[in-house]
Amino acid sequence: MPRTRRPALPPVDRGLPDYVTRRTSGFYRELNPATKLALAALEVVVVFAVPGWLGPLVVLAIVAGVAAATRTGRELAVIGLAASPLVISIMVVNLFVLPGAADPIFHAGPIAPTWSGLWFGLLTSTRLLTFSSAVALAYLTTPVDDLLADMSRRGLGRRGVFVVGASVQMVPRTIERVGEIMDAQRARGMDTEGRIWRRARAVVPLAAPVVFGALTEVEERTMALEARAFTAPGRQTLLRAPADRASERALRWLALIALVAVLVARVSGRLG
Amino acid sequence: MSLDLAAVRYRYAGSMSVALGPLDLSLEPGQVVGVAGANESGKTTLCLAASGMAPAVVGGHLDGAVEIDGVAASTLRPHELAQRCGLLFQRAATQLTHTTATVFEEVGFGPCNLSLARDDVVARVWWALAALGIEDLAPRDPTRLSGGQGQLVALAAVLALRPKYLILDEPTSELDPAGTGLVADGLVRAARETGAGILLVEHKTDVLARIADRMIVLDRGGVALAGPAAAVLGDDRLVELGVEPPARVRLARDLRAAGLDLTPDLAGALE
Amino acid sequence: MTAPDRTSAPAIEFDGVTFTYAGGTRALDGLDLRIEPGETVAIVGQNGSGKSTLVKHLNGLLRPDSGRVLLDGRDVRPVHAARLAALAGLAFQNPDRQLFAGNVRSEVEFGPRNLGVRGRDLDARVGAALEAVGLAGELETNAYDMGYSRRKLLAIASVLAMRTPILILDEPTTGQDARGVALVGGLVEAAAAEGRTVIAVSHDMRFAAERFGRVVVMRAGRVVVDGTPAEVFAEKRWPELRAANLEPPLPAVAGARLGLGSTPTDAALVAAVRARNR
Repeated sequence: MPRTRRPALPPVDRGLPDYVTRRTSGFYRELNPATKLALAALEVVVVFAVPGWLGPLVVLAIVAGVAAATRTGRELAVIGLAASPLVISIMVVNLFVLPGAADPIFHAGPIAPTWSGLWFGLLTSTRLLTFSSAVALAYLTTPVDDLLADMSRRGLGRRGVFVVGASVQMVPRTIERVGEIMDAQRARGMDTEGRIWRRARAVVPLAAPVVFGALTEVEERTMALEARAFTAPGRQTLLRAPADRASERALRWLALIALVAVLVARVSGRLG
Repeated sequence: MSLDLAAVRYRYAGSMSVALGPLDLSLEPGQVVGVAGANESGKTTLCLAASGMAPAVVGGHLDGAVEIDGVAASTLRPHELAQRCGLLFQRAATQLTHTTATVFEEVGFGPCNLSLARDDVVARVWWALAALGIEDLAPRDPTRLSGGQGQLVALAAVLALRPKYLILDEPTSELDPAGTGLVADGLVRAARETGAGILLVEHKTDVLARIADRMIVLDRGGVALAGPAAAVLGDDRLVELGVEPPARVRLARDLRAAGLDLTPDLAGALE
Repeated sequence: MTAPDRTSAPAIEFDGVTFTYAGGTRALDGLDLRIEPGETVAIVGQNGSGKSTLVKHLNGLLRPDSGRVLLDGRDVRPVHAARLAALAGLAFQNPDRQLFAGNVRSEVEFGPRNLGVRGRDLDARVGAALEAVGLAGELETNAYDMGYSRRKLLAIASVLAMRTPILILDEPTTGQDARGVALVGGLVEAAAAEGRTVIAVSHDMRFAAERFGRVVVMRAGRVVVDGTPAEVFAEKRWPELRAANLEPPLPAVAGARLGLGSTPTDAALVAAVRARNR
């Protein structure tokens, strides 16, 4: 093969393509990630600090509105479904074992569900679902790399950015990997559909390959990152970053003040 | 101007046995050097030592000298090594950052890490993609590509750092014949377009036969055979060294072993 | 389904099987295939042609969206995957999805233990399996201290020890050096000699031609060519092979150029040249 001179870079006739600087559409989606997080934080505090049904219902209304506007209703429903075992156990515990409750709905031998239990169980479940929806909305409407780019712009070092990005990615990847591992072990006769104590024995054959696989990958991934100059000094160039407006900064400050106000009011007893 | 290993010996951290060496190797720009050998003969260790990753990133103990264009690798930080010596592994999946939404941004990850101006980054990305002929992959999701495409993107991502030398550790091992062909063609293009010197470790000797200029065969950490690719691949000692010769060589040998002369038409049929 | 008799492999039948993955990829498209007991079958095709999807239907890891998978004429749908594992052992392409035990011995014991094997029978199986993959004497080694190719052989050993009537290997030769490939070829032939049905998913045409009695070519979820290596790699089939993104092995190409008929393996080419010279 003949020795070749290294060719010069071509003139830049192609700029940054649109799909990199893509704009998402919709008022809420276009908000800076930090703004969405600030609003979500405020909503969470309201859900828990304002006593009674007022807090959760107000936030629920907001969440429902935003979900409808951003068309994330279905994904939120899936998350709600994932929380359903927790909701069921909250309901059961409160219905039957709420301390001090003395207003039974009916008697079935020694078991007596109470009205207070039902009421409180519903309230707690609603709080749970509402706060997780508020957080989920921020997550669902923010592409990860927008979040990372914003954090990078605010000065979070590249390692921090990478850890966040990789961790977020890790969840679906780990889920996928666990599925593959389960298949592989089922192919060796491991029982995943049978009796519960047998399934308990399946923990190590399932967990260990996840861990080992992750560990063996770590070394290779570390080298791959180094090979891409990840540890170079200086600030990482950003190809794109979500915009931040003065109005949003103001909104975030307002949200922070409101959050503190609610907390103070709650702690000092003003909210009852 | 070359990548030189002189009297190199390497031990992994915590290990008493010498995984590589003593070994000498010289890689020149525009050249493709193939490396073959049985499993655990030191091929991966050679890649790590030649690229400076060992000991800079993986630790361990290296005797002898690794010099990249006259500069000792031991004096270079990993990001400086990366700009001189690109390194590629078997699985595309572990080389993707998984934090980018498009191939364009994935390939731009390296230049962005170097804090280059945005225009520079953009220019380098388009250049790397064009060098491999994969501009049409630019808008795609890097995690949703076929194995062969993924490896080409990983290669482009490394090329974007404009290294003088490229070291590849079994890049086609997990790929089907079509993917293997894609990567082999990509390497030929990369060598031509960038003038990089390439060190290619492969089991698939047919691929090496196609694109390597020179070859070495490793055995227990040392160089057992070295020379022009055609000569090494035709050497009788390949099999006992645990390397499968290219199909052409193997067939010719089988015919001769059966006492059949290699007539011209037969030789032609084996091309 | 009752526990299998070690020596009688069931007949396998795919009847109009269609399967689409959750993401929308249609991996199997009305596939029909019949494999007789004791056959050695190489399923070849490019990545994405549905090869791995196909074999995962044999041990119940995947269930058809439509069509049926039959073993000895009986639909496998009502049978749990864990129980089908006693009939069809599958060694995965990526060994790191399977390996978990502290050492090689425990790893290879896992499969047969799940099938109820204990004591001396278990030890014998473990020993034989490790012997077959060239890892005898590594009982106490930790799997992750071994290189990738040896881990792959270990994963195969752990399935061999289950002594299933049907043995399925997913890309057993990728990443292997010459010795590893020879070992895998040897154990395919040994398993076949015991009367097992051996199915390998591979994109190594030489491996398919040399070690298997039947080659099934897949493309886009369907079988496009099916026959002995001599039939499948004959010149008149090359257009179909190329449409499936595959190339015939060199002996077949050489034989065709010399007008010697279909010579899919080295041995066949040598024999044909010798016959011609007489």
